[in-house]
Amino acid sequence: MIDTLDPIPPGNIWAIDPSERVPIPFYLSTVQAGFPNPAENFLRQRLNLQDLCVQHPDATYFVEAAGESMIEDYIYPGSILVVDAALLVESGKIIVCWVNGACTVKRFVRYGKLVVLFPSNAHYTPLYIHPETDQFLVLGVVVRIVSKPPRWDSDQLKTAQDYVRTHRRE
Amino acid sequence: MYVSCERSFNPSLNGKPVIALGNNDHCVIARSQEAKNVGIKMGQPLFQIRELIEQHQVQICSSNFELYGDLSSRLMSLLTNFADHVEPYSIDEAFVQIDTSFEGIYPSYQGLGSAMRDTVAQWLRLPICVGFGLTKTLAKVANKCAKTRPELEGVCVINSLESANEALSDFKIKDLWGVGSRYAAMLKKNGIETALQLRDVGDIDWVRDRMTVNGVRMVYELRGYPCRLLEINAPPKKTICTAMSFGQLIPDLKNITDALTTYLARCCEKLRRQESLARHVTVFLHTNPNRKTPGNGLPAKQYSASRSIRLPHHTNHLPDFLRYAIPVVENLLQLGYNYQKVGIILNDIVPESFRQQGVFSDWPDEKALQIGKTIDRLNHRYGRDKVRLASQLYQPDWSQVQGSLSQAYTTDWKQILKAS
Repeated sequence: MIDTLDPIPPGNIWAIDPSERVPIPFYLSTVQAGFPNPAENFLRQRLNLQDLCVQHPDATYFVEAAGESMIEDYIYPGSILVVDAALLVESGKIIVCWVNGACTVKRFVRYGKLVVLFPSNAHYTPLYIHPETDQFLVLGVVVRIVSKPPRWDSDQLKTAQDYVRTHRRE
Repeated sequence: MYVSCERSFNPSLNGKPVIALGNNDHCVIARSQEAKNVGIKMGQPLFQIRELIEQHQVQICSSNFELYGDLSSRLMSLLTNFADHVEPYSIDEAFVQIDTSFEGIYPSYQGLGSAMRDTVAQWLRLPICVGFGLTKTLAKVANKCAKTRPELEGVCVINSLESANEALSDFKIKDLWGVGSRYAAMLKKNGIETALQLRDVGDIDWVRDRMTVNGVRMVYELRGYPCRLLEINAPPKKTICTAMSFGQLIPDLKNITDALTTYLARCCEKLRRQESLARHVTVFLHTNPNRKTPGNGLPAKQYSASRSIRLPHHTNHLPDFLRYAIPVVENLLQLGYNYQKVGIILNDIVPESFRQQGVFSDWPDEKALQIGKTIDRLNHRYGRDKVRLASQLYQPDWSQVQGSLSQAYTTDWKQILKAS
């Protein structure tokens, strides 16, 4: 038969003397079990692309780029341009505008009365706008460009693999 | 406004006559000044003006309410940059309360108006007119003057007795805010033809007798005492209605119940947006009253009917409404007619916090209300009607005809402007 009662060793038995009582303060506030989260004091809103790109929500438009005329300014076909219509159009800025009804993205340069739209691709020529004869209307200034990184085709991938193969340490 | 929105994203329409069509491309709902000049009238059916359109190369747009709605909300939000209190009055009108605090920033009301005009023109490429007045009615008068008198350059200020006298003396009574055709005829018969005459009417009780207290308010407003205050937080709607005509005439019950379901879904979305519940449903349907029988050209047989029911409880849950609305439409429908329109009107609208349990029903069901909100959020993120009842058809026969719809430039990633 198993003895279910653990015998208490005599050393653990104490006589209580009420005169030596020490009062222990009782705290009414609750105590959280577990380790407090020190990051809680530093919680902030998560970052948001909208806050970074859009300064004037009412005046901001998104425009998709097409064609390769602005490729040296990192504007590729399919890039999304964030266009702010509230900003001042100054020479040297990239703008989205309509020229005789066609929507285009170019660098804006004012030369006297003449407006010239510069592409950033050596294969394209600047566009001259004559204020009297051409219909010209600005949508706004490009403030951000959103693009996907270009994909490698199989040749580029192969070149990279070849490079690794030839430069591998034996 | 609609034509200006189309021009905002398609400047090649500038300077050309442009019309916007509504209601399945059947009739004209907006015209550019050039289109007005060639004699196209508001509400005219398209088939009546085919020759005019060809003769003057009139450009046609189907109404793109997604675009108009977004530009409208941008406009209203932009106006809050100029003043704290903005009351959107309609899709293209707003009342703005200008406090004296702006005085240091803008030299004059004229200057403030021009700044508003220029900002809207640059940000949204929309032409606007600004009218200043001591009261809403005077502001409306000033706005009308700014619109019709080109020498004012779109800004009209009524801030003194002289300017008020000048503006009101040749302001026709029928153009006054709140005066309909009946009041205009009545006033004309009594010798009042301009707004000035109405303002200086000697006997205010005479106005009260003829035009109720609203007429008295109008007179006081013209005199410069504000009676209509700015309504900044619009009260929730008391009635919600969805009734669109079909793209083609529909004879069968299946398509009609489907349209009914879709319209009810729209109504429920509207209810939830203003956090309300409704209890009273009216369903109506009718045939095309202008239709001729194809064979002999005689007027076709007509049928129209409507019925209202009261639900046992308030709700904004689509299946609850459907349980009652579908039998109603089944009951109303007479076979053998080609229907043009089915519509829904919701009444007896109360706030969502309204909790009065019925005697025999245990409603409103919290779970159902919660599901509605979740469905709204899903559809907001993934596109309209992505989550819908199984009884709704995906590509129905009755959808609206919009032949020359422009893109939703600001509300759909797939339809944004392209620049080369």
